[in-house]
Amino acid sequence: MGASDVGASKLRSQRLDIKTHLRQRFQKWVSRRIPSARSVTLDQKRLFIFPSRVGFFFGLCLLVMLIAAINYQNNMSFALTFLLATLFIIAVLHTFANLSGLTIHAVHAQSAFPGHQAEFEILIEKTKPREHFALSIQWPESSGVVVNLVEENSERVSLHVAVGDRGWFNPGRLLVESTYPLGLLRCWTWIDLDLHALVYPRPLPCGPLPGLATDEPDGSAVPIVGNDDFYGFRDYQKGDSLKQVHWKGLAKGQSLQSKQYGAYADSSVWLDWEAFPGLGMELRLSHLCYWAMQYDKQNIEYGLRLPGVSIAPDVGPKHREKILRALALYGLDEGDQ
Amino acid sequence: MKAQQQIPRNALVWSVITLFALVAPHFARIPLWILAVYVFAAIWRIMVYRGRWSFPSRWVKVFLILTSCIGLYFSFGTFLGLEPTVALLLTAFALKLMELAERKDAYVLLFLGYFVCVTEFLFSQDLLIVLYSIFTVTLITTALLALHQPDQHKFNPRTIRQAGVMLLQAFPLMIVLFFLFPRIGPLWTVPIKSHAAKTGVSDFMRPGDISNLSQSADVAFRAQFEGDIPGTTDLYWRGLVFSKLVDGAWTSLRYFDVPAKHRRQLEPELSGPELTYSIIMEPTQQNWLYSLRYAKSTQAKVMDSADYRLYSPVILEDEYQYRVRSWPNAQIEDELSDWRRKAELTLPDNENPQTLAFAQQLRVESDGDRAFVDAILQKFNREEYIYTLQPPLLGDNAMDQFLFQTRRGFCEHYAYAFVVLMRAAGIPSRVIAGYQGGEVNPVNKTVIVHQFDAHAWAEVWLEGEGWVRFDPTAAVAPDRIEWGLERAVASEGSFLSNSLLSPLRYRSVIWINNLRLRYDALTWQWKKWIVGYDSDTQFEFLQNWLGEISGRKFALILLGSWALVLIPVAISLLAKRDIKRTSALDRQYLAFCTKLEKLGLVRAAGEAPGDFGARAGQVLPDKADDIDKVTRLYCGLAYAEGFSGQEKKSIEFEELKNTVRRFRG
Repeated sequence: MGASDVGASKLRSQRLDIKTHLRQRFQKWVSRRIPSARSVTLDQKRLFIFPSRVGFFFGLCLLVMLIAAINYQNNMSFALTFLLATLFIIAVLHTFANLSGLTIHAVHAQSAFPGHQAEFEILIEKTKPREHFALSIQWPESSGVVVNLVEENSERVSLHVAVGDRGWFNPGRLLVESTYPLGLLRCWTWIDLDLHALVYPRPLPCGPLPGLATDEPDGSAVPIVGNDDFYGFRDYQKGDSLKQVHWKGLAKGQSLQSKQYGAYADSSVWLDWEAFPGLGMELRLSHLCYWAMQYDKQNIEYGLRLPGVSIAPDVGPKHREKILRALALYGLDEGDQ
Repeated sequence: MKAQQQIPRNALVWSVITLFALVAPHFARIPLWILAVYVFAAIWRIMVYRGRWSFPSRWVKVFLILTSCIGLYFSFGTFLGLEPTVALLLTAFALKLMELAERKDAYVLLFLGYFVCVTEFLFSQDLLIVLYSIFTVTLITTALLALHQPDQHKFNPRTIRQAGVMLLQAFPLMIVLFFLFPRIGPLWTVPIKSHAAKTGVSDFMRPGDISNLSQSADVAFRAQFEGDIPGTTDLYWRGLVFSKLVDGAWTSLRYFDVPAKHRRQLEPELSGPELTYSIIMEPTQQNWLYSLRYAKSTQAKVMDSADYRLYSPVILEDEYQYRVRSWPNAQIEDELSDWRRKAELTLPDNENPQTLAFAQQLRVESDGDRAFVDAILQKFNREEYIYTLQPPLLGDNAMDQFLFQTRRGFCEHYAYAFVVLMRAAGIPSRVIAGYQGGEVNPVNKTVIVHQFDAHAWAEVWLEGEGWVRFDPTAAVAPDRIEWGLERAVASEGSFLSNSLLSPLRYRSVIWINNLRLRYDALTWQWKKWIVGYDSDTQFEFLQNWLGEISGRKFALILLGSWALVLIPVAISLLAKRDIKRTSALDRQYLAFCTKLEKLGLVRAAGEAPGDFGARAGQVLPDKADDIDKVTRLYCGLAYAEGFSGQEKKSIEFEELKNTVRRFRG
């Protein structure tokens, strides 16, 4: 019993392996065939066509009609069956032509917070003077949109996709499909539009930032944790840099202490990586993001300091975008995208 | 995704039109209440569309289905047979419309529609029906197409164009497939048209039956002779041989009435001229075939009987085509067997005593059998006998009544009386039923035989001559044989008095008659080559055109001829044709340049619009504003980047157009 269970699950996992393997092979093949590009014109190389489920049902109906024609020896029934069968063949060309010659442009991808929907905007444009109907457009995770291009030459389409974690979000391949004119065949393509949405860190609230009081007069020393001037000692806390440890004191037999450094605060504030000692990277970024949003709301000038990144204090949507982008891409390889 | 699955209004309207177009040709063979179901379903669906009613609930649907089934059972008395099946299909088709909510329902409805087309062909494959069906198929395809054009909120009559184009492209492919697809025999037996009326001459003849048949202008069959057409007086198309008289009605001998040793035909010596002809019969739901005697057919499916008639072992549900050879002068059955002599002499007891006594008396007075026959024919000819389509009804001892009192009758009365007289005088004789004459179509030299050409005559067996044909009607009304029924009953005005719409009634109007004859010639070709295209014709046709038939050749011809159509279609659909959007803009600018040319300013080859504009502005300072505006707008529209501001672009384009138009060269 148990052995057979093991065998079955083994078999299942093997099958799963084969399936994922095949899927990977297929993905690779598709990427080779339809490489990513900002705009793609659909042609023979990029379009696939196959009878739809309705097409198979239609084929079944034709079979029944053919049997009726044979059994009743009825030539006009033969003729009608053949006419519909050849209509199916003609429909292959028409279905194909309905997608062929369309150019899909990547226009814009809106940034979003994790778990929110990012808007992806694309433009569909004709390259031939013909009517295109019932173009269904969809990212793997989005709901679909159906577009006609009859009199207009192009159409903008916005699709919403729920984004994942911080960084660049790739919605996958865009599925463009149509069964026009008769619904018997489905013509489709998956195109990689090279359209990526920026996903910000998830903003997580936390207690007030240590020593960040904005009501202090200019120039007064407030303990902003940083690397500037020596400020004092405090008991070592887990997560404190080893550079800050007061080694001399330790040698003298005192308890383990860290040196504290202070900066001079003014009305602008700095969001600093170091303000969250002991926290992991993602958590730090989340808190920084939260505070950036807070300051932006309150219209306070704020700057950002991350290891290797420093953005001078400023305010406004452009600044906010700059800050959030830096936060979103911090520590990611493809940060240059 | 949801919106896509809904049915656009355009598709809904096309579906409703299709529905009624499809049921129309079935009108005559379905009970009237089914039509009411159609109207009801259409109204319900429209009310749903207008938001007044909702879709029928499941219980309403179940109720409607059950009521329809019960209704069908009461109308037809059975669910078996083709007609109830078709009626069921048509009712289902109407009910499906009522619950037409999503696209998948529409697929079912429209594919059912194609089936309804097929069922129409099972009843008739006439040219007109086929042309009409091409129209209904186009309608169904249009509805199917409209289903895939989302956001069409208005009825769009132009949708039919695209469907028509596609069907037109499919048509040549279908023709090739039609002629090449092997015709094989039925795979299993199928329900027959149990409710179709038998037509034509029946195997049961009472006085008055043929005169009823003669009211019909329908075509019974068409014949085409190889060589000259015999004169109409020789065209006695034999169908049935009535040897039995039971209860005042003539019938033929059944297979088991004839003893086994007499079932084989005694083949006559074939002498004299020979006729070869093809016949295409309309469906009769009976199994006898018409031919000129003495007829033989080499066709496998045509049988012959001991009384020298041809028949088909299966009843004729569809048009039936056969080839016959006839020897009109051949003597048939020189020797009469005792059994046959007895069978052809039998008369019912105690019937028509006056007639029997008269015949026996006359036979004694005549000098031989032939003299007796002549005496009878003379009696009909000289005495006051009337040939009429409206004979009086006859009671018991019908022949006594007819011969000595009413003296008014149609061909079956005369044939009946003649044979009774012969048998009473001891001369073997029998009634022959079939058609006499026919209309020769000058367009293609076919003989069209109508139901009103139905006729009955007699055959008498004479020693040394075999069976000899005598037509007592010819003695009464020679016009009937010479000129046909219409002239024979002209004074009565009874010819086709019940079929006012038949084009035959308007034979005197020359253009109607020409049209009718041309259409009939077309019908002949249609039935011979298309409707009657079976495995034999196919074999002959393919061998004539292709020579040796092989699978490879088949495939080559099929694919080759398809490629001839598909490649041009593909090219026209997929060829790179540049969209004229930019050139519309260019056209405007070029028009502007032409106007400037008239003012003596020619744009140099390779001169950029900006440079040219600046130069033109200096030369024509009073027009500098307009020139600058056009140049600026054109450059902006032609070389602007990005996709933004489509609306702004179109406004600018309009502005450019107006400026160019206003600009006076």
